Amino acid sequence: EHPLLRALIKVTLLKHEATGKPIVVEGLFVGGSAGKAEGRLMQYHPLSLCNTSEDERQDGDFITIVKLEHRVPRCLPLLDKARMALDKGAQAVIFDVSDDANAAAELREANSFSRPVVLVEAQGAEDLMGLVNKNEEANVVIEIKVEPKWLHYDV
Amino acid sequence: KSISGVSSGCQQGGCLTCSDYNGCLSCKPRFFMHLKRIGMKQIGVCMTSCPPGFYGTRSPERNTCTKCRSECDSCFDKNFCTRCRAGFYLHLGKCQESCPDSMVHNDTQRECVLS
Repeated sequence: EHPLLRALIKVTLLKHEATGKPIVVEGLFVGGSAGKAEGRLMQYHPLSLCNTSEDERQDGDFITIVKLEHRVPRCLPLLDKARMALDKGAQAVIFDVSDDANAAAELREANSFSRPVVLVEAQGAEDLMGLVNKNEEANVVIEIKVEPKWLHYDV
Repeated sequence: KSISGVSSGCQQGGCLTCSDYNGCLSCKPRFFMHLKRIGMKQIGVCMTSCPPGFYGTRSPERNTCTKCRSECDSCFDKNFCTRCRAGFYLHLGKCQESCPDSMVHNDTQRECVLS
């Protein structure tokens, strides 16, 4: 079984774009979706990915972030939620699975997402959601984390 | 800025369960869950009635506010508009860009009226 590739999520506040150093958080690509993506960060409530009603449409490229909560009853399987977020136009989806123990296992089962779907948790997720709570526009770049080659040699 | 019937933040009257990042996760009975977009954030808000541009749907699991059709500014439900967006005219609960032959459009009311 292929090891899941790790993601580097670089977040820059738009007002600091020229000078600011991005926040870099690590995550895990799931569903064979490893790849690059870029867009504005947009938070979605876990209940927003439940039906395909004519709700809000975003302009321009955006990346969806959803903090999953075990207390929110599942209206859909997570795989469908991820696909729905991508169908709504997201360039990528980030799931904070810190407070939903089963979510990571469920999403690791996925095998075919059309665009990057990344899991974050613990301190990385805390940093990201802390930034979301500031509600300041931010740009996100997601890339594959390249592991140093020497790791694979027996020394 | 709070909307009538609700105050923002986690301590809202209608909230049953709540989280710092997502706002309300579930509402008390009879309240509607409205997913309110504030900039890049989207939080759950529990309301006694849905805001303009949305209609309330009740179900055993949860009462929710759902957006009216895009050409409709306020509606009773998905298929019955009560006020159209500019450039559309109300006829039999639907918003149309033009009125039937025997009618003319009233720009103030945004409705089709008998000529």
